[in-house]
Amino acid sequence: MADYDAIVVGAGVSGSTAALCMAKAGMSVLVVERGDRPGVKNMTGGRLYGHSLETILPGFAAQAPIERTVIREKISMLTGESCCTLDVSSARFANPASASYTVLRAEFDPWLAGKAEEAGCDVVCPASADELLYDNGKVAGVRAGEDELTADVVLLADGVNSPLGRKAGLKKELAPDMVAVGVKEVLELPGGVINDRFNLEPGEGAAHLFAGEPSQGMVGGGFVYTNKESLSVGLVMSMHTLTASRSRLPDLLQAFRDSKALKPLLSGGKLVEYSAHLVPEGGLRMLPTLAADGVLLLGDAAGFCLNLGYTVRGMDYAIASGMLAAETALEAKNKGDFSAATLAGYTTRLEQSFVLRDLHTHQRAPDFIGHTSRLYQEYPQLAEDLLTGLFTVNGPSTLFIKKALPVLSKAGLFNLLKDAFRGARSI
Amino acid sequence: MKKIAVCYKWVLSDADIRINERTRELDMEKCKPQINEYDRMGLETGVRLKEASGCELVALTCGAATEASAKDALSRGPDAVYCLDDPVMAVADATATSKVLAAMIRSISDVDVVICSEGSSDQYAQQVGPRLAALLGFTSVSYVSKAEVQGDALLLERKLEQGTECVKVIGPVVVSIVPDICEAPIPSVKQILAAKKKPSIKLGLADIGLSADSVAPLLHVAGVKAPLSERKAVRLNPDGVSISEAATALARQLAADGIL
Repeated sequence: MADYDAIVVGAGVSGSTAALCMAKAGMSVLVVERGDRPGVKNMTGGRLYGHSLETILPGFAAQAPIERTVIREKISMLTGESCCTLDVSSARFANPASASYTVLRAEFDPWLAGKAEEAGCDVVCPASADELLYDNGKVAGVRAGEDELTADVVLLADGVNSPLGRKAGLKKELAPDMVAVGVKEVLELPGGVINDRFNLEPGEGAAHLFAGEPSQGMVGGGFVYTNKESLSVGLVMSMHTLTASRSRLPDLLQAFRDSKALKPLLSGGKLVEYSAHLVPEGGLRMLPTLAADGVLLLGDAAGFCLNLGYTVRGMDYAIASGMLAAETALEAKNKGDFSAATLAGYTTRLEQSFVLRDLHTHQRAPDFIGHTSRLYQEYPQLAEDLLTGLFTVNGPSTLFIKKALPVLSKAGLFNLLKDAFRGARSI
Repeated sequence: MKKIAVCYKWVLSDADIRINERTRELDMEKCKPQINEYDRMGLETGVRLKEASGCELVALTCGAATEASAKDALSRGPDAVYCLDDPVMAVADATATSKVLAAMIRSISDVDVVICSEGSSDQYAQQVGPRLAALLGFTSVSYVSKAEVQGDALLLERKLEQGTECVKVIGPVVVSIVPDICEAPIPSVKQILAAKKKPSIKLGLADIGLSADSVAPLLHVAGVKAPLSERKAVRLNPDGVSISEAATALARQLAADGIL
């Protein structure tokens, strides 16, 4: 008999959610995490869309170590001279069913792993699962150092690189145009200063995305998220254009921090944390084999992430995949059959849920966002020309259309229409 | 040898200490508790002596909120752990700590080898081992960099300033180890899982016959401040003066500062 019903590799949000759900259903579960504590190897820009965790732990935000509830969304187009911003703040954003929260993984992940532990899981860290164990071709456990630990099913929540997923042949090596690299600094500032600078009440947060200058024409963008007493500031850059350029990520981040739009927001902030991480952005094109004999792939390991430019999602998909993997594992346990045929129910569940539906809906998005260079250079410029023109008075007034037409034709009306059409069909 | 007791201290990790640059006060808010690093080598030494002698191995600690340390300690090899957990011990000095540990050791039967590390990462008083030996009436052997079992005896190597001293001890002994005695391995998954099934005994001061008054510290810490290094920030080669000119200026500066 196996040591456990299920072994989960990785105590990030997908792994801990799966472990929690399986333990609640009465399964015996071991979670192995290679970091000293859950969360120390994990990274987010800053925001968790709460809906999927809300279905598992209703009202979680009241007890979880979240930073702030996002009630203010800003998107800015930056050029060297100008900053054009869409700024939406609404009490509607705080509705628990659809609220989003700024989080720091070093705080959040230990809490979620703690919930799994409370439910009866063994959570062991630091412990690195080096190999999968097989029994007649079926995954039957993991080897961690010299220890062999057996289970009926192994859930791989081992992150974007998923070393075990690759070893098991479920997943290919990551291609440069399938991943982005995120880099983030956490700058400490008093909560009151953050409230003043971002026009927030205590507990309220802002999410601010930036396009244009921060990525210096390459595919990527910048972000600022407000935490309780710090700001998360960073960039996410697509690997293929970054590696093709001579730019270094730390230099880009430095320039972003020093830009006119950011400098006053960050002024006086004390650097307390620096981190970088890969982000799977290939969508369906990089979808791995999600289930095989005795094994399932979850969260970032499965590439469940969606960047639409205005929303960036990953953790909510990871949590949902953890829940669906747990349901599948429980079904397999009840049937006493952990073969690929039974575990294929995981893929079916994902297809019926928003996880794979969203990736289908936006299947053109990675290509549109990753290969439309105008989004990063020409259009921020266009926004600047158009909108600064709108507010410039230098004598006689002209019809707005007369100001706008030359700007639009400079960008190329055909390109604009084409991109508008492609954008509408993808994001 | 009948029973080895390894003492460890549950300290705040010094990696996350932050310093208030204005007041030079230490901010320990982000520091997480952990087993004092040197004591992990003490535990490993205990494990090796246990393997060589076949005797029992227990771990003990005293302090405030020490119960949380039990799982980590047990995953490092001892058969049982005794945690004296009392808030008054938060300010304990080396005198109080040794008094409490001695009482704990007396309450555990048959202990004839006690292992301590030379000091803890927070206070590094270097007193607990020798004090403990005095209170228990055990032999004290300090600065031990190697420990081996030879029949009923322990062969110990002491790392001293001018050489190494080898001693052979028979009978009850307190061994204070230096950190290079061994490496402390990271517990394996199975060790961590096995730790959950081992006994962890929580004790209060009353359980070992002591009162809060009897462990009141004699040593009062008036304050702790971070050292301040002030730089002179003198540039000796402004506007790219020649190396020889800069070197002359440097020599003059060092002489003026009384360093040369």
